[in-house]
Amino acid sequence: MNTITAALGTDRARRPRAALTVLLAAAAAVGAPFYFAPFQVFQLTMVLLYAVALAGLNLLVGFGGQISLGHGAFFAAGAYTAAVMLDRYDTGHLATLPAAAAGCFLLGLGFGVPALRLRGLYLALVTLSFAVFLPPLLKRLEPVTGGSMGLTVDKLQPPAWSGLAEDQWTYFVVLAVTVVALLLARNLLRSRVGRALLAVRDNESAAEVMGVRLSLHKTLAFAWSAMFAGVAGCLYTWVIGFVSPDSFSFVLSITLLAGLVVGGLASLYGPLLGAAFVMYVPSVSQDVSEAAPGVVFGLLIITVMFVAPTGLAGLPGRVLGAVSRRLPRTTAALDRTPEADSVPETDSVPEADSVPEAEPKSPAGSRPATTLTPADPAVVDAEPVGAPPRTEKE
Amino acid sequence: MSEPTTDRTEAEASAEPDFLKVSGLHAGYGQARVLQGLDFSVARGEVCAILGPNGAGKTTTLRALSGMVRGRGSVTLNGTELLGRSPEQAARLGVAHVPEGRGTFNDLTVEENLRIGAHLRTGPRWRGRPERAAVAADLERIYDYFPKLRQRSRQAAGSLSGGEQQMLAIGRALMLRPSLLLLDEPSLGLAPLVTRELFEIVRAVNEEERTTVVVVEQNAQLALDIAHRAHVLEAGRLVLSGPAQQIREDGQVAEVYLGVSVRSRKAG
Repeated sequence: MNTITAALGTDRARRPRAALTVLLAAAAAVGAPFYFAPFQVFQLTMVLLYAVALAGLNLLVGFGGQISLGHGAFFAAGAYTAAVMLDRYDTGHLATLPAAAAGCFLLGLGFGVPALRLRGLYLALVTLSFAVFLPPLLKRLEPVTGGSMGLTVDKLQPPAWSGLAEDQWTYFVVLAVTVVALLLARNLLRSRVGRALLAVRDNESAAEVMGVRLSLHKTLAFAWSAMFAGVAGCLYTWVIGFVSPDSFSFVLSITLLAGLVVGGLASLYGPLLGAAFVMYVPSVSQDVSEAAPGVVFGLLIITVMFVAPTGLAGLPGRVLGAVSRRLPRTTAALDRTPEADSVPETDSVPEADSVPEAEPKSPAGSRPATTLTPADPAVVDAEPVGAPPRTEKE
Repeated sequence: MSEPTTDRTEAEASAEPDFLKVSGLHAGYGQARVLQGLDFSVARGEVCAILGPNGAGKTTTLRALSGMVRGRGSVTLNGTELLGRSPEQAARLGVAHVPEGRGTFNDLTVEENLRIGAHLRTGPRWRGRPERAAVAADLERIYDYFPKLRQRSRQAAGSLSGGEQQMLAIGRALMLRPSLLLLDEPSLGLAPLVTRELFEIVRAVNEEERTTVVVVEQNAQLALDIAHRAHVLEAGRLVLSGPAQQIREDGQVAEVYLGVSVRSRKAG
């Protein structure tokens, strides 16, 4: 997973190439709605908004090391915030975005509390419960949410000056929000808070003795992550113009998590790939047969996990690594594959390198090394009579 | 330095003999009571070694000081009570703990690891440039102590050798600008020469920064070389305390309590 450090762009040498990639991606993103048919543009729009939700989930799962099976609930909360504001208060679309973001941030802060006490599967189970109880709740709150009938609201309408069709305008608005959201996620990770978050994921107690407040950072990770899901939900309302409890069943939460893992955890562009997976795989497989989507989705997840355990985002690196290992070692550039970074933590091999370097510095270098070796087993294991068993180290 | 000097004597000890004062410290894990009432003091600027066999409570002592385990009794640092505080609060008070097994953040780069050490100093009360410059200066200072870390500053910490990781863990703790540095078995799993280099750096840090150091070690010989005072723990109690030199020279003591023949080693 040291893709993080690589992906965060610490390597300055890669800048020109990165700039070119960004430029090409931008050109493709702007050109796409003029090239594709309206329905395809709509699909791309959905990919973008799912990417926002996945980027948020990535903050929590990929970088924060916590699991949430309840992000569909935050997505739904964002969608309903927008829908209710549009339906009841006629606020206009733009106002719903900050409201959904802020509301879900606060919700995340509240629901982040279980994250302080639970981890791993236990946390996953508790968060799954959010996703399970939300749809029935939405059905019950009929006066506000419209019950099982849901709410139909206005979609985004292109202003006259733009000269764009509805699908194109919507695409550009969602694209703008997505770009801002992805940049925000990236900068968040590069900040002091992001560093603390990664430290907590790597080694909780070591982070704590460095003065990182676990409770604060774990809850904040949840809140930020919920905020992204809420923004994505709000965009969903703008694009679809209709929300109902059945749109946000707990399957959505599971799909989001699966999409993230398939796209690539703790990778910066993994969410985009994962979003494409979430969007296209079910709809493409639907053409095969009515029952196919579930089967194909499941099989593809299994395949991806076997072929690319680091997700689609990690696939190019793995392929490059495999290729360079087969090629004769002439190209130095290819040698530094992601795999090469992840040397296991064993001391023995690298230690051997550092010993000769240490020698001249150590004044004791002249002595035979053996006299300096009190670490021989006899010493380490020497336990005077009456010493208790090793209770101090769990 | 292989003939380690008689310079680490009482004369060096500062005017604050009770900079860290531990009295009646009890601590444990659930039913297992590990520490059974420790009393000792560490003067400001001193290196204090805590020695003893496995299971004696050395690690637990450090954990109690940094708030990682709860303790009863009293531990004061510069007059402020440390017990009952979280590790994060202890860190705020200037206690930097280098845990056993290093605890580096393996997915972060070396430099990011060091910056985590400055986490508290760049907090919400952070006022911009002056502190940023100070952190940059501290990074340089750490790199001067550990030149190998400078070479690897952009490398993931997980790809470092064990010795380098230990250096990183110590460097990260120093970024906190601690008044009390707790080192838990820095020699664990390291080659003897690397260990010796590490201890020389700890000695240099102590001399140049006047950082008070409490080091827990199985390797009594090395720890006694850099320590001013030493305490021998057995089964959660102190069985022996005194100037490091005295304990080093008292071969019988070492043999009985530490299972090491210090004299024969010196002869070699």
